[in-house]
Amino acid sequence: MVFSSIIFLFRFLPITLFVYYIAPNRLKNAVLVVCSLFFYSWGEVKYFPIMIASILVDYIVSLVIEKNRGTKWICRLCMGISLFFNLGMLFFFKYTNFFVENINALTGAHLSGIQLTLPLGISFYTFQTLSYTIDVYRGKTVAERNIVNFAAFVTLFPQLIAGPIVKYTDVSRELRSRKMNLGQINDGIALFIFGLGKKVLIANNIGSLWDQVQELGFANISTPLAWLGILAYAFQIYFDFSGYSLMAIGMGKMLGFEFPQNFNYPYISKSMTEFWRRWHITLGSWFREYVYIPLGGNRVSKPRMYWNIFIVWAATGFWHGASWNFILWGLFFFVFLVIEKMGLLSHLEKSKVWSHIYVCFFLLLSWALFAITDFSQLGVFLQKLFSFSGGIDWIYYLRNYLITFVLAAFCSVPLVEKFYHQVKKVPVVHLLLLGVILIASVAYLVDATYNPFLYFRF
Amino acid sequence: MKKILKYPAVWLFFLFLFGYMVLDMSQYHKTFSELENRELAKRPTFTLSSFYNNQFSPKYESYINDQFVFRDQWISLKSRAESLLGKIENNGIMYGKDGYMFQHYTTADTQRIQTNTTYINEFVQMYPQLNITVGIIPNSYMIYPEKVPLGAGQVDQTQLTDEIYQALDPSVKTLDFLTPLKAKKQEYIFYRTDHHWTTLGAYYGYSYFCEQNGWEPVALDTIGKTEVEGFYGTYFSKTKLYNAVPDTLTYYQIPVDEVSIDGEPVDGLYDKEQFSKRDKYAAFLWGNHGITLIKSQNNLRKEEGKTSRILVIKDSYGNSFAPFLTYQYDEVYVLDLRAIPMKMSEFLAENTFDDVLILYNFMNFSTDTNLAKLRY
Repeated sequence: MVFSSIIFLFRFLPITLFVYYIAPNRLKNAVLVVCSLFFYSWGEVKYFPIMIASILVDYIVSLVIEKNRGTKWICRLCMGISLFFNLGMLFFFKYTNFFVENINALTGAHLSGIQLTLPLGISFYTFQTLSYTIDVYRGKTVAERNIVNFAAFVTLFPQLIAGPIVKYTDVSRELRSRKMNLGQINDGIALFIFGLGKKVLIANNIGSLWDQVQELGFANISTPLAWLGILAYAFQIYFDFSGYSLMAIGMGKMLGFEFPQNFNYPYISKSMTEFWRRWHITLGSWFREYVYIPLGGNRVSKPRMYWNIFIVWAATGFWHGASWNFILWGLFFFVFLVIEKMGLLSHLEKSKVWSHIYVCFFLLLSWALFAITDFSQLGVFLQKLFSFSGGIDWIYYLRNYLITFVLAAFCSVPLVEKFYHQVKKVPVVHLLLLGVILIASVAYLVDATYNPFLYFRF
Repeated sequence: MKKILKYPAVWLFFLFLFGYMVLDMSQYHKTFSELENRELAKRPTFTLSSFYNNQFSPKYESYINDQFVFRDQWISLKSRAESLLGKIENNGIMYGKDGYMFQHYTTADTQRIQTNTTYINEFVQMYPQLNITVGIIPNSYMIYPEKVPLGAGQVDQTQLTDEIYQALDPSVKTLDFLTPLKAKKQEYIFYRTDHHWTTLGAYYGYSYFCEQNGWEPVALDTIGKTEVEGFYGTYFSKTKLYNAVPDTLTYYQIPVDEVSIDGEPVDGLYDKEQFSKRDKYAAFLWGNHGITLIKSQNNLRKEEGKTSRILVIKDSYGNSFAPFLTYQYDEVYVLDLRAIPMKMSEFLAENTFDDVLILYNFMNFSTDTNLAKLRY
């Protein structure tokens, strides 16, 4: 089930919240687990057992680690089991076909791939359960004894399928006892509605431009339209992803949880380094904490440090999808981050205009790399971007999408927050704004001509 | 109470979601949407196997969407929001000047066009005794390019139609409808909210067919006509534009002796009940049916002792066109390959025709997969 659907808004959410609110405190987590498992199984019931296995393995393994703190080999064995199980599942479901295809291409073998749809949100929840066991192993947190609490952490429907990646330590206190208050619920509702608006009103609206450009075929478009198309894609992926995260954070608050922030105006960054501190923050910090730092981080020799950065970014790219272009996309950032680390960063931070041009330009290129999985198509598209080809097609699309572009640009910069603070001062206007966004979003969902789910690869 | 006042958003939000859900679950279900001109999804029956195979959930979701309370009003609200955003396209339909809507059509399936052309050629070779004419009817955007939004990049049907005609067997006669229709563009020859030509447009098409054969077409002012107001066509059903200007549909009281569909007699050329519904164009020849036979005394070229016959193989554009042919033939057979109840070869073994007219709209010709049935 996805958040941006009528069935979620007018069936699942009201029923779940109603049962959750009237349930006595000791049963609230159980309600969450049952509802979340239903949410997860809707549309793909086959992966229900995988979810259950995921919960059981990390729950048991961590308890064993906790009980055998003194015996190092048991702890290591258990940690190994968790790593093997979580990464094994991720690799099996997400990457088997990628490796099979590449081995076939390389050796001329005829191995057959697997015919499986990717379990929803597997990239997110395997990282979450993994972080839990690693934290228990490192002694950063105590193992959860109550299986219902642990299951609630793993399955919690707001963040289950598209993040933010919530670590166990972020919510362990709330899992055991949380006090809900109306103020928090009130904030949650506002965030949820803004998230919904971002996804339904902006991302879907502007995303259809990129879709049309793909339909036209990259060979048939003019250079201005190519730029317009990739700009639309940049907005789509930002508003889709951050909208989803915001809905998750909002629903978390409605349930009494505080999830970490996931996006912080990434497009105003002055360097790629800054961009990655503002874009998908929970993923970046996961890789830093569980990959980069264990590899030695920057407390090693220079070449080793660059090697570590390389590993992190190849992995980050690969995490986004089982295809070479995603790996390349990750390495694209590796190159820029290294250049910035070598000294460009200080120059960028001083510059007011050039730094933004630099970031926007290369980000657009990175999105082309991200959006187009086929390398020959990517070649055609890049050629369109840089070798001028005329035409008047862009006039039509600019006219059709101009206001949406302006709206998207406005909502991508902190100016929108200043505006919102002004609105908030007058409660009636604030209420009206929320109402308008909610009603308009529902209208767009009822007559949905374009409402994609972008995370099926994740 | 103080808390309620302090956080009105909380109560309003839950009241809205919950109240609307209850309202939605307790309402009467519709089976057909007049606004969208389509069947609405019904509640799927739950079985464990359909749930396990993921067939239940998507069906259930479209059922919830289709039966959402005040669906039409929500759709109209979206349409208003779209115009606030300055959108000139919705669901693949563009808003042109003067209330004209056009399908945004940037790539033609040339593969399908070639295949369909080949099918016609095979048909021609199978029945060398038949006198065959092919006419490809252009879409409204070809007649009114100045009303199409700038830069829309529409397919040029002129060139592609020429290519089709050149690829056809030399024994086939062709009808270049573009020229005569362009000459009449000041008149109301295409609907604004529908993809079809108007009855007047069909009449000019018919006149052109007569001229090509050296016949005098029937004069329109000699036939009684009826106008039906408030026609919102297929383009409208896709866009659901809240301020769309409706079309007027005209039909002519052409006298007939007998009309039958697949052997069953029907009352006249038009399904008049359809004029009070949304899809008014479906009144012509009662919609698309396998084989429709029209007999009349209208024939202006009547030769005593002889019964002249034409076979029109057509898509829906032919439905408003075919009735005029009664003024040139004693019997008009109208055949729709999508619904033909027998093999083409069986049909042609039983019937003889003076002329065969294959009449398709360009877009239909470039998508239809039923022309293959010409060869069976």
